[in-house]
Amino acid sequence: MDWGLIADIFPLLMEATRLTLQLFAGGLVVATIVGLLIALMRQSRFFAMRWLAAVYIWFFRAMPTLVIIFLAFFVVARDWLTFLSPLQAAILGLGAGAGAYKAEIIRSGILSVAPGQWEAAEALGMTPTRRMRRIILPQAVRVMIPPYLSNTVLVLQTTSLATAIGLVELTGLSRQLSNSTFKPIEVMLTAAVIYLVMSSVIVLAQMYLERRLVLKV
Amino acid sequence: MDLEFIVEEFPGIWEGVPVTIGLFAWSLFYGTLGGLLLALLRLSRLRGLRAVSAGITWVGRGIPPLIILFIAFFVFPEIGITLERFPTGVLGLALWAAVYQGEVIRAGIMGVDPGQWEASEALGMSGRHYMRRIIIPQGLRIMIPPYFGNAMTLLKLTSIASIVTITEITLLAQRVISFKFVSLEPLLTIAFIYLALNTVLQFAQLGFERAFRLRV
Repeated sequence: MDWGLIADIFPLLMEATRLTLQLFAGGLVVATIVGLLIALMRQSRFFAMRWLAAVYIWFFRAMPTLVIIFLAFFVVARDWLTFLSPLQAAILGLGAGAGAYKAEIIRSGILSVAPGQWEAAEALGMTPTRRMRRIILPQAVRVMIPPYLSNTVLVLQTTSLATAIGLVELTGLSRQLSNSTFKPIEVMLTAAVIYLVMSSVIVLAQMYLERRLVLKV
Repeated sequence: MDLEFIVEEFPGIWEGVPVTIGLFAWSLFYGTLGGLLLALLRLSRLRGLRAVSAGITWVGRGIPPLIILFIAFFVFPEIGITLERFPTGVLGLALWAAVYQGEVIRAGIMGVDPGQWEASEALGMSGRHYMRRIIIPQGLRIMIPPYFGNAMTLLKLTSIASIVTITEITLLAQRVISFKFVSLEPLLTIAFIYLALNTVLQFAQLGFERAFRLRV
């Protein structure tokens, strides 16, 4: 193990980690918004809305994330929304794919709220929007958090696929440095440790929140 | 969208289908064996073995599958494991699968009611008999849905083999994109192939669930 080399490449890898974190944060925000939207469409009164949401979930869950990123980069960003940068295209692809999973998580959270709560809110004369916002979602969040965060670990890991459209994030830089230094062991293991630390932080947050969110009665 | 173009380019991309299926099937096979090993180690009486299995699982779940694939491609040759391109891809994907299927198998074995063990002991069953007649049939039923969930993820993950230039369908589609300057058509072609393969897996899951359903 060449510790001197690790000390030399570590700052470079941390710089690339910033891009990884940008992809992660952007992808997570897009995924959450898309997920919430699709989950609410699944609950809609209108058949067309429910159907559209179901097709979205079906399609994006069957697609490899890499193919979704290619669709965002080669089709959406190149032909349709030409103002998108490669970073934005990658975030769009990551978010669109992960959104389908977030939608299922949010939907099962909404469905887990006891039917009595819906009826009680209605009996109090709440509008559907107010009922969703004040009664259903706050209770659903408790159920959603554990699966939401385990899916979030996967979103973090999926950012590595952005390397396929030429973004030099942590994984892309590791491959370049492996080739240029001829020391793949040191480079790849350092990158693996950085990912492991980031994933573990999310897992620890999940464990902490799971303990905190137990209903106190 | 240019349907004629899709028809024209389809045979070229179609050639990658056996590679995609091969990557998937072999890595699922070796991944299941590896997962079984990890699960048995995890349930071992020896603390050291349990720790090894837990450590591997923690690392494997904490790093991206693409990094696992890169480790198979760039790090393993340095420590004397040199394979052809395709088997290296299988190795990387199988390592990923082993970690996730190991958790499924462990949960399946642990999910069988401990009362079953006591009952079979009271009936005078041997350990092997108990495993084969009691644990495996009941555990399998618990394992089927998450096992297939991981298998579907694995099928989709075979696409990352394109990044290390294994000529499966995603790489072939990418080549069409760069040589023919069209992108929607080849991507929709492979999207259709992934959807079809995914649907086959869903039917397989239904079949297995039916075969192992409770008969009372």
